[in-house]
Amino acid sequence: MTLTLTLKAEPPARVLAAPLIPERLRGLNASAIAALELRCGGETSAVGDLFEVSGAGAEEELVLAGDLRRFDGIGARMASGEIVVRGDIGAWAGAEMSGGVLRIFGDAGARLGAAYPGARAGMTGGEIVVTGDAGEEAGAGMRRGLVAVGGQAGSGAGLRMLAGTVIAIGGIGAEAGLGNKRGSLVSGLPLEPLPAYAFATRYQPPALRLQLRRARELGLAVDEALLRGTWARWSGDRTELTRGEILIFDDGEERRE
Amino acid sequence: MSGYVLGRTKVDDTFAEAFPMRFARLVITAATDAWALEAARSMTGFATSVIGCKCEAAIERAVMPAETVDGRPGIAVLLFAMDRDGVGQRVLERVGQSVMTCPTTACFDGLEGEEKTVPLGASLRYFGDGFQASKVIAGKRFWRIPVMEGEFLVCESVGIGTGVGGGNLVIGAADEGAALAAAQTAADAMRGEGIALPFPGGIVRSGSKVGALTSKSLPASTNHQMAPTLRAQISDTLVPDGVGALFEIVIDGASEDNVREAMRRGLHAAAGAGATHVTAANFGGRLGQFHFPLSELRDPP
Repeated sequence: MTLTLTLKAEPPARVLAAPLIPERLRGLNASAIAALELRCGGETSAVGDLFEVSGAGAEEELVLAGDLRRFDGIGARMASGEIVVRGDIGAWAGAEMSGGVLRIFGDAGARLGAAYPGARAGMTGGEIVVTGDAGEEAGAGMRRGLVAVGGQAGSGAGLRMLAGTVIAIGGIGAEAGLGNKRGSLVSGLPLEPLPAYAFATRYQPPALRLQLRRARELGLAVDEALLRGTWARWSGDRTELTRGEILIFDDGEERRE
Repeated sequence: MSGYVLGRTKVDDTFAEAFPMRFARLVITAATDAWALEAARSMTGFATSVIGCKCEAAIERAVMPAETVDGRPGIAVLLFAMDRDGVGQRVLERVGQSVMTCPTTACFDGLEGEEKTVPLGASLRYFGDGFQASKVIAGKRFWRIPVMEGEFLVCESVGIGTGVGGGNLVIGAADEGAALAAAQTAADAMRGEGIALPFPGGIVRSGSKVGALTSKSLPASTNHQMAPTLRAQISDTLVPDGVGALFEIVIDGASEDNVREAMRRGLHAAAGAGATHVTAANFGGRLGQFHFPLSELRDPP
């Protein structure tokens, strides 16, 4: 039976939820999981005080349900398995994750899949899908993997990105890809790239087609127009290697808002 | 030679002799099925026999967009060689020259999950001259090679399976037209999942024997015993009375069962299409690990 944690009530302070990853819960029964403690502001709270716990950590899937906007670091540093979140979540979700799948059916906060301050790299593998919007600096410092956002990604997406892919079907905010080395930023809506990016061409990127199909497999709504359409490729950041790219959907008026 | 009769077709009591081979399955996709077919035809050209071409390859089947990795129309091709390195070399050469060069194509592994692999994009990427880039998608690495059209997308490596090469049927009739019509019908019936018919149209008219009567250096020469024009010239002819032409269909398969069932389909299709005689080629059973007796194919598919 899948391990499901359903939020009882909004916590009194922000909660660091990073310990709630499948590999750390593997083999634990419901009572053992309920007894685990999480940082809640300056205090600690038992998982069982915050959540209704059902199932056990026998499977590689964890379901979190409720309004989790005060929960930071969900899926951070996860290496395997799958976390499904039904609700909005806080910042640092999937930060520095190296594998597995994090699916968020809701909005995500800032620094999705990003690097913690001082770290050399953020996400180094795995996949994150967010059906709603994502906050600022999604994919910051990312080295590998996929972040796919159904709505809009906030400003600063792909900040100092090393590689990997951030897709935002609802468009990307300002200053996308600042300091990007080899990463791919993908915007489903028009975007004015930074001056450090130069227009290359319009084409149908074959790898993006696979990535969008994969995002769709993971639960994201992806229009056929995006799969079949033309994208503008901008290369940058020219203050770095100029090996990164921003792909902007560019198929006439079909998806402009 | 005793045997059995299917309708008006005499089937010899003999067997086809085949060998273990290594193979790869590639799925070539393109913007249209016509371009995918162009690439597949080019890639599987000049690949009729390992003796002369270093590999045997053929189109396996069309792959619908719903089945392909990128949602575009595709063609699956099978390529066989005697060992893994041989498959790897030939795949690399042929994808580089025939698929990467073909407009709008991408190339994917059709044998995912095989333990043994050979590099494809991992080697071909160097054509990108440092401008290539990779993406890991759903746990698999793909290479993006910049080309004049845009980008060629190719999988990092391809799986290598162990298959069977050299299954065969020899189909005869009173004259060339009747024999060819029967052979064509048989070849059409034999194609399918796990099957490659590497000769032109799936059919070979110049069946061979190992070595030669007149040379020690020739690896193969004409199967003179099956040549109707020599019937009255040699004492050991195998051309049956009333047969004026013979065609062979060589079958490489992903498994022994694939080959056997393709032979069964071909035998019954040939019998229904006017073949008067069906036999099979072998080396006396001494060389090949796999034997496919025609006696086991009597029941229809």
